[in-house]
Amino acid sequence: MGIFGILDTSGSGLHVNKLWLDAVSDNIANINTVKKTSDNAFQERMVVAQESPDTSGTGVGSGVHVSGIQLGSADGVTFYDPQNPLADKNGNVKRPDIDLGDQMVQMMVAQRAYQANLAVIDRARDTYIQAMGIGK
Amino acid sequence: MAIAPIAGVASLGQLAGTPSIDAATKAKSGPGDGFGAQITNALDNLQATQNTADNLALKAATGGAQDVSDYMIAATQASLATELTVAVRNKAVESFNDIMRMNI
Repeated sequence: MGIFGILDTSGSGLHVNKLWLDAVSDNIANINTVKKTSDNAFQERMVVAQESPDTSGTGVGSGVHVSGIQLGSADGVTFYDPQNPLADKNGNVKRPDIDLGDQMVQMMVAQRAYQANLAVIDRARDTYIQAMGIGK
Repeated sequence: MAIAPIAGVASLGQLAGTPSIDAATKAKSGPGDGFGAQITNALDNLQATQNTADNLALKAATGGAQDVSDYMIAATQASLATELTVAVRNKAVESFNDIMRMNI
C-alpha cells in the first residue's frame, strides 16, 4: 500500500463492482439465447469476491479482488417452441435459467456499491489535500 | 623576576570536546537518510507515479484500457503526489530563507 493507499483500496472495490456489472450485462444480454436441448444452456455468470490480504502490516486489508467466476445451471429451462430451427424432435429448446428481475436487482446493488467506493475516493482525496495544508 | 612569554594559541582543531560539524552531520545522515536524498527519493517516486498515469492515459487513448477507474485513480495519485512534493519543496525553501535571514 503506497502513501495514498485509500485510493488503491477503493480502486479495488471499483474494479470488482465493475466486473459484477459486466457479468450482469452479459447475463441480461444472453437472457434470450436459445440452445439445442442436447447442448448446455447459457450459464449465468456470477462474480466471486474475496478480501485482499494486509500488505501494510497495520492489520487493515488492502481491499477486495475477484477470486473467480462461478457459472449457474447448464440445464437451463426446457421450452416448447416447435417453430424454432434449433428445436429437437419433440419441439423443445433450452433457454437460460436466468431471472431478469434478479439481474436488475443485482445491477442496482453493484451500481450503488460502485458509487459508494467513488464516494470514499472523493472523501480520501479531500482528506489528503487537507493534510497537505497542515502548517500553511 | 622573569615573565613567562606569551604562548601561541592552540590550533582550533585541537580544542577538546568540540565535535566538528562533519562528525555531527555524519552521525545524523546514514546512507540515503539526508534531506537531499529523501527529496531525490520522493522525486523518483513521483516520476514512477506519473509514468504509471502516463501509460494508462496512453492505453485509454488507444483503446487498450480495461477499466476507466484504473486511469482516473492513477491520475489522481499522480496529481496528489505532485502536490505533496511541491508542498514539501515549499517548506524546505521557506526554512532555507529563514536561515539565510538569520542575524549573525
